Amino acid sequence: MPWGRIGSLVRRTRAVGLTVVLLSLWGCASAPPSRPAASPFDDVRRLVIVASGESSLSVVGHHTQPGRTFDEILAWYPTQAWMRPLAKLLHKGVNWALELGQTASISGRVDDISPRTVVVTAMAEKLRASGWFDEVRTLEREPTAGDPRHDDAVVRVMVPAWGLVRVLEGDPDLLAGFADVRGYLTIPGAGVVLWETTQDVTAPGQFPVDTFMKDPDFARRELVDVLERAGQRLASELMYARSAGR
Amino acid sequence: MSPRGLAPVGIVLALTLAGCGGTALDIRYPEQGVNPALLASVASRRVQISNVIDRRLETARVGIEPGDGGDIVTNRSVADIVHEALGLEMSKNGHVLVSDQPDLVLRPVVEGFSLDTVEGYQSVQYVGRVIIALTVVDGRTGDALLTRRYVGIRRREVDKPDKKQWREVLDTALARAMHDLATDPDLVAALGGSGLPSARPAT
Repeated sequence: MPWGRIGSLVRRTRAVGLTVVLLSLWGCASAPPSRPAASPFDDVRRLVIVASGESSLSVVGHHTQPGRTFDEILAWYPTQAWMRPLAKLLHKGVNWALELGQTASISGRVDDISPRTVVVTAMAEKLRASGWFDEVRTLEREPTAGDPRHDDAVVRVMVPAWGLVRVLEGDPDLLAGFADVRGYLTIPGAGVVLWETTQDVTAPGQFPVDTFMKDPDFARRELVDVLERAGQRLASELMYARSAGR
Repeated sequence: MSPRGLAPVGIVLALTLAGCGGTALDIRYPEQGVNPALLASVASRRVQISNVIDRRLETARVGIEPGDGGDIVTNRSVADIVHEALGLEMSKNGHVLVSDQPDLVLRPVVEGFSLDTVEGYQSVQYVGRVIIALTVVDGRTGDALLTRRYVGIRRREVDKPDKKQWREVLDTALARAMHDLATDPDLVAALGGSGLPSARPAT
């Protein structure tokens, strides 16, 4: 084969190799994080935030036991595959009872907290501090037809789940306060959703479960703190989306 | 072409694909997702972002792979990632990034940048955590105007271990910290030259 053709073949092969490498690197690049479908709502100056939906307090352990032990036992009896769903059910049942006990222990000290109210209040405070709105008011329930106020927009806020969640494995495992929240903005009368977001909010502090169980006042402070963070988080995302239309 | 000629390309390709295997994460704050927010509501300032100090206990990695215990790292230094994100927010909000004679200096410290895995029975939870402490300093007097801590945490539960989630979890945690920063009225006041320290304690 002439040297010229060999050189050309080498160059072409390297080019193909380089292309593959670049494509591989491209595949590694960050995908843009999902953002709420932002529509311009710059004209909104008077806002009402409405607490909505039901909230459920829970202690989420994500335990591996006793399910893993059941699996190890079943590994010795491969013919007993029908028992696997039963093991899964048993695992869920045992942990449901365990987490139910922990939830009951904490809920006694926090049952006067309205998670939606805490979230809505914190969100309103942060929005007011921005100076972007002439009025931000909050409601515990849906506005009635006879409400004389005229708001430019309604934000409905839900807190479907809040409580404690295991965030770090160890001895002991560490838990943190959490609040899963959702918010969406509509224009009264139009019903069109101009902004919505779902946020999993987790407290930065991590503690053994005993810390929460033995000091209910501490547990209470941590839970209120994470609910306030959730309200501020919603406000941040609303303002960030609003600016998209500016 | 001899197989020997293809060897260098093969090695680079293998290393690249190994990088994609999940140990080296390309975490970044995407430019196309940055909006002019509250920080754009003040007049344009000359802003210098000083070198980011990485004050994490473990700076060599961001997490540990479940199972084999290998390191999870980022393909750039965490300090570079945070510096770039701050630069994007400032410039997209109309401020001019400078290296001398600044109106304001931003001094960022990374206190947390980590990925934790919590294995359950038939589920896995990933927790990404980004904590940035930011001090705003008057460029002329050197006085500290504001110190705030921005915390972004992302928690995601999936049915099966999924390395693709690692990057998403850390990307989102970084974005949340930056969005909190970009919509902080106290930071806006400091940038706007009110010169008043924050009345609120750092969170």
